[in-house]
Amino acid sequence: MPRNVMILGCGRVGAMVAKALAAEGDDVIVIDRDADNFRRLAEAPNLRMIVADGTSSEELRRCGIEGVDAFISLTAQDTVNALAAQMAQLSFGVASVVCRINDPIRRAMYDELGLRTVSPPQVMTDLVLEALGS
Amino acid sequence: MFVIVVGCGKIGYQLSRALLAADHEVVILERDSHRAARAAEELGSVIISSDGTEPTVLTEAGASRCQLLIATTGQDATNLVACQVAKRSFRVPQTIAVVTDPDHVALFKQLGVDVTISTTELILSHIEEEMPGGPLVHLLPIQGAASGIVCVRVPAGSPAIGRSLAVMGLPVGTSLAAVVAKNGEIKSIGPDLLLEQDDEVVAITPPDKETLLWRALTGGA
Repeated sequence: MPRNVMILGCGRVGAMVAKALAAEGDDVIVIDRDADNFRRLAEAPNLRMIVADGTSSEELRRCGIEGVDAFISLTAQDTVNALAAQMAQLSFGVASVVCRINDPIRRAMYDELGLRTVSPPQVMTDLVLEALGS
Repeated sequence: MFVIVVGCGKIGYQLSRALLAADHEVVILERDSHRAARAAEELGSVIISSDGTEPTVLTEAGASRCQLLIATTGQDATNLVACQVAKRSFRVPQTIAVVTDPDHVALFKQLGVDVTISTTELILSHIEEEMPGGPLVHLLPIQGAASGIVCVRVPAGSPAIGRSLAVMGLPVGTSLAAVVAKNGEIKSIGPDLLLEQDDEVVAITPPDKETLLWRALTGGA
């Protein structure tokens, strides 16, 4: 069954995740404050791009957060991701929330608070060590 | 008291100055190095030019022995994370966040911030107070109850003027808490109470009765 997924942040990571999910057949809404960032995406019937501020609950509602199965915050700013993800989880009750947190200590804290976090520096480090064969 | 202030914009700067003047120990964290340098000229060497949401920076600032952290930046997300990190990772007993989006007040409380101050709501309530025609001003929500304390000034031409409380009839579920006359005299609440122009009426009301209460006291549509 296709899922309704909302992605906050259309940088490199956000755009790649959006493309991958749309290719799998999910209905994807991508939000970014800067319309320029949507240049990374190609038009598709199951991919919507909306210019909005993801830290505002009113704007998230306008973008349709109330109907989504998953919310993924992938902007470059930990603070924006943390606020948006906690809002999706608590204020809107989104079933599945994933949040990018770069700083390892903050990441551990948000894990403890019950967010599902992904840390690009950590992922990179693991991959580099693995490539080195250590 | 040892206080950490995150953000040295207008609010953070004035606040820190007041805290220092009251002999509190203050450390200010300001990410922008120019702004930090400018404030340091006035306030002395109490400023660290770093990001106050970074745990390593908070460690350097001495957050583990800090009694109060106040996040005053213009970004709600920054203020939330600074308070959450202080609370969770450093066990800071009291955290205060300034917010610009009024919707964030309830959310930040849920997320463990002790006090949230909404600048937008503060400004709005001050504007409402200054407006003619007796608007309804929200003074205080009552914790744990659906009602709040509000204030209405009785305007000229209000149908409530000269009528006793018994005759006037307030909406069911609302209750007057105090009436202060223009000269500052506090009137006693009772069925015989007569309202006059420019009386400040403090009342307790659930949100859905606010409009009815306001109409009863002002005659507004």
